[in-house]
Amino acid sequence: MSKSNDDNKPISAKKFMKELRRYEKGSVTRRHFLGVTGLGTAMAVMGTAVPSLWSGKANAFGDLGDRLVFSTWPNYWNQKNLDEFTELTGVQIQVNAFGSNEEMLAKLQAGGTGWDVFVPTNYTISNYVELDLIQALDLSQIPNYDAAANIPKFAGPATVNGKVYCVPKNWGTTGFIVNTKKIKSSPKSWKDFFDVTMGAASGHSIVHDYQLTTIGGALCALGYSFNSVDAKELKEAEDLLIKAKPHLFAITSDYQPGMRSTDAWISICWNGDGTQLKNDMPEMEYVIASDGGEIWSDFYAIPKDAPHRAAAYAFINFMQDPYIQARDAAVHGYAPTDARAIALQPDSLASDPILHPAMDLMNGLEFGAAQTLTDPIRAEVMARFKSA
Amino acid sequence: MREDSKSNRWLTAALLAPTSMWFLVMLIFPLIVILVFSFGERAAVGGYAGGFTLEQYANLPSRLKAFQNTMVIAPAGTLLSLLVAYPLAYFLAVKVSRQYKLILLVLVIVPFWTSLLVRTYAWIFILGGRGIPTLLEFIGIEGVRLINTPGAVLVGIVYGYLPLMVFPIFVSLEKLDKNLLEASSDLGGSPFKTFLQVTLPLSMPGIATGCMLVFILLMGEFLIPAFLGGGKVFFIGNALVDLFLQSRNWPFGAAVSVTLVAIMLITVSLYMRLTMGGKTGRDESLM
Repeated sequence: MSKSNDDNKPISAKKFMKELRRYEKGSVTRRHFLGVTGLGTAMAVMGTAVPSLWSGKANAFGDLGDRLVFSTWPNYWNQKNLDEFTELTGVQIQVNAFGSNEEMLAKLQAGGTGWDVFVPTNYTISNYVELDLIQALDLSQIPNYDAAANIPKFAGPATVNGKVYCVPKNWGTTGFIVNTKKIKSSPKSWKDFFDVTMGAASGHSIVHDYQLTTIGGALCALGYSFNSVDAKELKEAEDLLIKAKPHLFAITSDYQPGMRSTDAWISICWNGDGTQLKNDMPEMEYVIASDGGEIWSDFYAIPKDAPHRAAAYAFINFMQDPYIQARDAAVHGYAPTDARAIALQPDSLASDPILHPAMDLMNGLEFGAAQTLTDPIRAEVMARFKSA
Repeated sequence: MREDSKSNRWLTAALLAPTSMWFLVMLIFPLIVILVFSFGERAAVGGYAGGFTLEQYANLPSRLKAFQNTMVIAPAGTLLSLLVAYPLAYFLAVKVSRQYKLILLVLVIVPFWTSLLVRTYAWIFILGGRGIPTLLEFIGIEGVRLINTPGAVLVGIVYGYLPLMVFPIFVSLEKLDKNLLEASSDLGGSPFKTFLQVTLPLSMPGIATGCMLVFILLMGEFLIPAFLGGGKVFFIGNALVDLFLQSRNWPFGAAVSVTLVAIMLITVSLYMRLTMGGKTGRDESLM
């Protein structure tokens, strides 16, 4: 361990100045500054005489062990951030990427995941608390988290029965992406989405392999709530989906390859992916449907049986640093919930209409409801649609 | 004498104990768990709740399409793999000179060193709109759609499972006694007739082993149909992944598993009976 201490890897002058500027601007804490620059260690060494240099624990972060298991979504982190955390703490990070909240829940319910930090979506948190699968956070161990800087609408679901169970990561919307070179009719609603799917874009449409968004979209197209668990409404949604199935290109949450190869012309889409696609192909247009859809926020949480708790806290604290948050978002595109991080973003991202849509566009959107995660009818409707 | 046989029996039991334990813990016990689960109910938030109901089995018809897809595409994939693998195995075993044989065999194995996931993902791009269909457009064939069709899944299956078919056939052909071929032609048999009446029957054990290996694995396949079928060519393996990892309906998933195991047992025993005349011990099968 002592060999991997940051004090053995001298910081470059340029990086030191950058960190100093960040500290001066107040975008990092003193603790972060001391840790990154190695000054903290140096001070600790001076204070406790030379032997502590060899103790192996002279790290500004303390002894965190050497491993952390992090479960998140695909294309949703900046590898640079993870590498830097490893460099600072000696903790190796193992990343698992998942395709749906259901999948995460299934793993946690089965037990023995070995996860230390994972990224649940707003509507799942109360379920996790009820099932006793996540632990309440000791916010004093996450000094970088600033509740006041976070948009309450997005941070709210973290608090269940007065206790805070997680801290927010990013937020976004679920709409659809259209290749305007292929589809000229400019669909605006979920109803249009399914009409186009079964008409002009037959064979070129993608829905997610994810019950919340796919069933939700079908429900909106029929004029019902995105979150409906009403048996009759779900039956209608199932009928619509099964009717549309022969016209689909694919049922997959990994829709970027299909859209990029232009095999698919229209797909249910999360807004950050929408930005990623539009950046490379200007003909791509992200649409927030006029008849509804989803607005969501994601969080960092610690499972109840996390084996490396100290490392988990250190990691979440590190990721809450505004500079780190902004650097994270620079890669995946999704908007931070933290005003301090948004302030650090380049204008192109901070004022992007896809990532920060006008508030009135989002009036019709709903946060996912806790019920939808565990509702047996929704689960079975999705499974039947897929095997139909 | 009696002392002897008694201690022998103890010795046999002691020597068999590790194997029996392995079977018990790794095979019998999980099967019992699945069987018990299949009569239970889905808990309110997903997972398993105790009970005794036949409801799960009554719900099986809702996965009929998945069973149908699997029961059609798995045998088709096995047959296609056989048709592609046999000439290759024949070439490797009979035609290639000794000095190249090893290199060519290694070339067949090399793809196995990379994850099937990565290799299947590569096929998404080869079969996707900017892959082969674009090439076809150059020669005037337009609007070809390859990816996310049963055909694409079959291509992926043949590609992924080819080595499993090639090797057993290769082994049985390599042992082929050349004198028999000579005798056949000496007695006036044409090359084709020699192949049909000598080579093919002698390679039957390899064919049977290869087909079994591929077919059994295909019945549980989920990765290739998910990637190359775009979630539209749905296997029973995909239904299982769905039931356990998405909708968390463990009892129904267990019932589907039990049904799959039953279908497999029936198919495999029928197959053994047909191809080996019920005397599995006599032929030198690899299994």
